[in-house]
Amino acid sequence: MLSKPDGAGGRVATAADEAMSQYAQGDASAFEIVYDAVAPRIEGYVRRKVRDGARVEDIVQQTFENMHKARGTFIPGSDVLNWAFAIARNLVIDTGKKAGRESSTDMTAENDGMGAVLAAAIAGGEELFLARETGALLVRTYEGLTKLQQEVFELVKLEGLSYQQAAATLGITVPSVRMYAHRAFVALRGAVEERSESRLVPA
Amino acid sequence: MALSPEFKSRLLAQVREVPAPTRKETLRRQTWLFAAGLIGALAIFFIKGGLRVTARPPSLIALTSLGTAGFVGVGMWLLFTRGPTGLRRPRAVLLGAAVLSTIAFVSWRYGVSAAYGRAGVWPDRIGLRCLGLGVMTGGLMLFAALMSWRRSEPVTPVSTGAAFGAGAGLGSALLIDLWCPVAYVPHLLLGHVLPILILSVAGGVIGGRVLSLVRKR
Repeated sequence: MLSKPDGAGGRVATAADEAMSQYAQGDASAFEIVYDAVAPRIEGYVRRKVRDGARVEDIVQQTFENMHKARGTFIPGSDVLNWAFAIARNLVIDTGKKAGRESSTDMTAENDGMGAVLAAAIAGGEELFLARETGALLVRTYEGLTKLQQEVFELVKLEGLSYQQAAATLGITVPSVRMYAHRAFVALRGAVEERSESRLVPA
Repeated sequence: MALSPEFKSRLLAQVREVPAPTRKETLRRQTWLFAAGLIGALAIFFIKGGLRVTARPPSLIALTSLGTAGFVGVGMWLLFTRGPTGLRRPRAVLLGAAVLSTIAFVSWRYGVSAAYGRAGVWPDRIGLRCLGLGVMTGGLMLFAALMSWRRSEPVTPVSTGAAFGAGAGLGSALLIDLWCPVAYVPHLLLGHVLPILILSVAGGVIGGRVLSLVRKR
């Protein structure tokens, strides 16, 4: 993606940020550029939270409608992806009271999918069994994390947002994001290490 | 499963049909409304007597007002503006800005007045008049801020409203500082600090309904 170093707060502004700035000034054609850059990321995020495909489309559509309605408040050069994520997250919370349960269900589905990938790659049945067990353990550990730890982990690790972007999306400070991310990583890594050690203990 | 091209064209077509003000139009509207609120608050302040010197030495008035203006100005800037991300600042920052600038201006006011020997007990001035003036002038500023951001906050309408309330309360605290000679702590808490709390709560409650992009039923 094209970028230039004049974004707000010394950040590198992306082509999507520039396009959103133009759209905020009234250039109607720029919204398509914003859509192309932002929609796949938002869709991936929402799909992880909401299982129903129709609802995913509804939330993505509402996110872009809200961006359109609030375009006059967009600060030129600021991060449009951040803004879109914050709007989408708000809509997920607003429209789906079951979002928390569904997100963990989705994690299970994702890990099942990962298990299938491992099955194709690993010849031995024992390895497959162990991989599945580790996946299940990770899901249990993930479900034991606090809501904010889960959200930080998703935004930073799965969506690839920076700590700054995740902090702005969640409305918390960057040090808090670092702390939640650290705790989530420690918990998940601890679960994997515990699993590995238990395998080494002779029966 | 990716979003289809039909979805994209349908969405872009639908968006084109919904009117949305541009940044220039939004800024113009916000400036006018905010200026109107400020002028209204100043009008009430002057109708109620404006700067009241009473027995206070001019240097005391200058010191307390300049200090209060500094603390309140920083607080208002953090509460009314957005961060470099373009989103409202984190809730912890907003809360910290409101609380710390309030503590700072009250401490400053009391400390400077005490140095001049004018922080004694005023049992007959519990602060109801200051409370009334604070709620009136701050309320007008809050109303203007909420109207200027009406239906344009897509993410955090409640905390934005509360931040506007606290900001308006801090603005009114500066006017009360010029108006009121009393630096007795219970008076300061009731007459100068309580309006900030009242306006923050009112801003949060009203902001949740007025600032949200979607009309709440």
